[in-house]
Amino acid sequence: MPIVKPKRSGPVMDMTAMCDMAFLLLSFFIMTAQFKEQEAAAIETPTSISGIKVPDKDIMTISLDKDGKVYFGIDNQQNRVAMLEYMAEANGISFTDQEKKKFSIQSSFGLPLNQLKSYLALKPEQQKALKQPGIPVDSTANPQTNQLAQWVYNARKANKDLRIAVKGDNLSKFPNFKNVLSSLQSQNINKFNLITGTEAPPAGWTND
Amino acid sequence: MASIDTGGGGGNHKGGKVRGKKMSTRVDMTPMVDLGFLLITFFILATTLNKPSSMTLNVPDKTEKVENEPIKASKVMTVFLGKNNEVHYIAGKAANEDPELKTVRFGQELRSAILDNKNRIGEQFVVVIKPTKESTYRNMVDILDEMAITKSKRYALVDVLTPDEEKLIADKLK
Repeated sequence: MPIVKPKRSGPVMDMTAMCDMAFLLLSFFIMTAQFKEQEAAAIETPTSISGIKVPDKDIMTISLDKDGKVYFGIDNQQNRVAMLEYMAEANGISFTDQEKKKFSIQSSFGLPLNQLKSYLALKPEQQKALKQPGIPVDSTANPQTNQLAQWVYNARKANKDLRIAVKGDNLSKFPNFKNVLSSLQSQNINKFNLITGTEAPPAGWTND
Repeated sequence: MASIDTGGGGGNHKGGKVRGKKMSTRVDMTPMVDLGFLLITFFILATTLNKPSSMTLNVPDKTEKVENEPIKASKVMTVFLGKNNEVHYIAGKAANEDPELKTVRFGQELRSAILDNKNRIGEQFVVVIKPTKESTYRNMVDILDEMAITKSKRYALVDVLTPDEEKLIADKLK
C-alpha cells in the first residue's frame, strides 16, 4: 500500500495587499517630492545647529562658490521673466521671447549682463559645460559695477515678498561675502538667511 | 513561495482525454513589493534629507545712525577669525592695553573659551566678532553657530580692524 505523501509546498502569503500599499505610498512620495534643480555651481555649505527650514517659495538665492564667484537665482519662472524684463529695461537692452523662455528655466546663473545673451543662445549641454564667470560684485553700490545689487533690486520689483537666502561655500573667503553683504545693505536689506546644512546640537543643549 | 501554482490538472492519464493544463492565475507579488519599498525608501531619503536649514542674520541698518554709549572693554571679548581655521581672542582688555592674545581652534576649545569669559563677565558680556581677510565663510557661520550654542545674545559682526588690533594680530596672519 503506497504511503500517501502530503503535498509539500512552502508557506504562501498573499502579497497583493502589501504591494498595493507600497505603490500607494510610492505615488504619494513621488507627487510630493521636490527635486533638486540644476545648480550653476557646486556649493558645499557649512553646517549649523539652526533648525529653521529654508522656505519653499518666494525665495531669492545668492550663491557664493569657493572661488568667490557669485550666482543668483529666484524661484518662480514667471518672476524670472519679469525680473529679466525689468533688468533689460534698466540697462537699455531687450531680449526676445525665446531668450526669456530659456532664461526662465535657469534656476541660477552667474554671468555679467553683457554675456547673458550669448549664453542663452547656447544649447543646454553647452550651457552646462560653460564655466560661468560669476556676477560682478564689488563693495560699492555703484550700479555699473555691482550688478548683483541691480539683480536684487529688479527681483524684488518682480516679487516684493522675496526673502533672501545666502548660500556660501565652506572655503569662500570672507571679503567675498562682505561684498555680497554690502550690496544688500546698500539697498537697506538688513535681514537675510544663511543656508547651512544641519548638524546636531551638543548634548544637553536646549533651544530657548 | 507564492509562486505560480503548478499543481494543476492532468494530462498524463493514460488513455484519457488529453486536456490542456489548468494554470493557476496567481502571480508572485514578492519582487514587486520589494521594488515598491525600494523606491519608497529612495524617495523618503531624497526628499527629507535634501532640505537644508538656515540661520537668520540681522545686520544693523547702515543708513540709521544710532548713538550708543561705548561698551566698556572689560565686558568685551573680541574674537578674530584668522587663517587656517584659527581663532584668536582677547578678553577684558582693549587692543591698546597690551592684552594677552590667545589662540584656539574651532570646536570644544573655542566653546569653552567663550563660556569661561561669559561666566566671568556675567550679564553684560558682549562678543565682537572680527573676521579677517584670511578667514572663510565657514569660519563665520561656525562662530555665529557658537553664539547660538553658548547662548551669547549680544554679539556684533564687525569687519573693520582698528590699527591697534591690526598690529596685535599682524604676525598671526602671515
